[in-house]
Amino acid sequence: MAQSSGNHDLFENLRLELRRGCLSLAVLSQLRTERYGYTLRKALADQGLEIDEGTLYPLLRRLESQGLLTSVWREEEKRNKRFYRLSPEGKQMLKQLGAEWQRINSSLKEIL
Amino acid sequence: MELLDRYLDAIEFWLPKRQKRDIIAELSEDLRSQIEEREAEVGRKLEDAEVEAILKRCGSPVEVAFRYRPQQYLIGPTLFPVYRFVLAVLLIGCVVPRFLIWLGFLIVDPAHRGYLHMENLWTTVVYFAFFTTLAFAIAERNGAKLEFLNTWNPRKLPAVRDPNRISRSNSLFEIAVVVGVNVWFASMFWPRPLINFYGVQITPAPVWKVIFWSYLFLSTCNLAVSVSNLFRPSWTRLRAGVRLAATALGYGLFCWASKAQMVAQISVPRLAPEDAVKLTNLINAAMASIFWYAVAIGIIALAFDLRRVVRVKSGREHGGSMGTAVKNLSDSMVNGS
Repeated sequence: MAQSSGNHDLFENLRLELRRGCLSLAVLSQLRTERYGYTLRKALADQGLEIDEGTLYPLLRRLESQGLLTSVWREEEKRNKRFYRLSPEGKQMLKQLGAEWQRINSSLKEIL
Repeated sequence: MELLDRYLDAIEFWLPKRQKRDIIAELSEDLRSQIEEREAEVGRKLEDAEVEAILKRCGSPVEVAFRYRPQQYLIGPTLFPVYRFVLAVLLIGCVVPRFLIWLGFLIVDPAHRGYLHMENLWTTVVYFAFFTTLAFAIAERNGAKLEFLNTWNPRKLPAVRDPNRISRSNSLFEIAVVVGVNVWFASMFWPRPLINFYGVQITPAPVWKVIFWSYLFLSTCNLAVSVSNLFRPSWTRLRAGVRLAATALGYGLFCWASKAQMVAQISVPRLAPEDAVKLTNLINAAMASIFWYAVAIGIIALAFDLRRVVRVKSGREHGGSMGTAVKNLSDSMVNGS
């Protein structure tokens, strides 16, 4: 029982590690068009990549502080929302990361 | 929306000051959107329990707030292994000797154990730990660069240690000290009816002859091991065994000698005969009082030698270290090796 729980914890840790890098790439790819947090989450969830708000918003802030995103507060449907989109540096980074992802993905396909 | 406001307020408390409003506004918008979407689905206002479920899924306020904080550490992953090593060396160097002395007092002479309060020991430990941590935290904060991590070269790494290797310099050091001490000892304390020790006339007890020759015999055995180590600088089972036997016999001899009343009489210029008798008794009593200390040190020394024998046997002996030289030298004080 304890071993099963340990295995589950280990799996969760490894799964989180695996997801961490992928999420940045997924978020960058979705912000080629301008979105605010909630619609971004929904867009990702619709494509099978659930991400909770506690993970998404700190990630957006980090990407913005790294210069990969720009954001602007704007009123929409009578509420203030923060809209994000890729900066020029972000577009360049997305291109590089996308290529890297393809390379890893094709290697892993061969390996697995 | 009272629950939501309370939730956001609790998160706000833990957020970085400058980003509080911005983060709360964004998070609030997201949570309100979730609640509104759910309300649209069920066609009514959400109950408190339903809002509670949404907030619970989002995470505890502290957990959510801490995700916005940059990753912070007192000592980073680069410095941490060095910090741990330095701390361990300092603490072991500070704690172990004092603890052993305290333990010795506790066993042998409980009346005097108060000389070394354990409370003082803990205070010392806390000071060591505190100042070491502080120094490393300052180094981390000032961005200390460990240059050797960038400039290392495989050619400059130390040679792989042969666990059986004995450093020739250690052997030479042992031989020099042992020969010097033994020449002095033999010239000074050669068994004779009256020993002149820097003007003090000592009449040794008859047992002195046995002690003296036993000492010289053990000393010669150990010297032979050291000379052999010099020319064949690797521990063998035979030499490690001889060193173990010599250590056991040496400490045994020392313990026995400490209680053997070695001094029969002392004559000191300008000292009254009755005071000389008192001095003789005092010296014999002082020798006897170190019996248990000698036992304790002997056990530790034997443990080291035994470990060496076992390791040589299994081919994993760690020799040639400074620790070995120091330990051998301490043995030589007792064995005359």
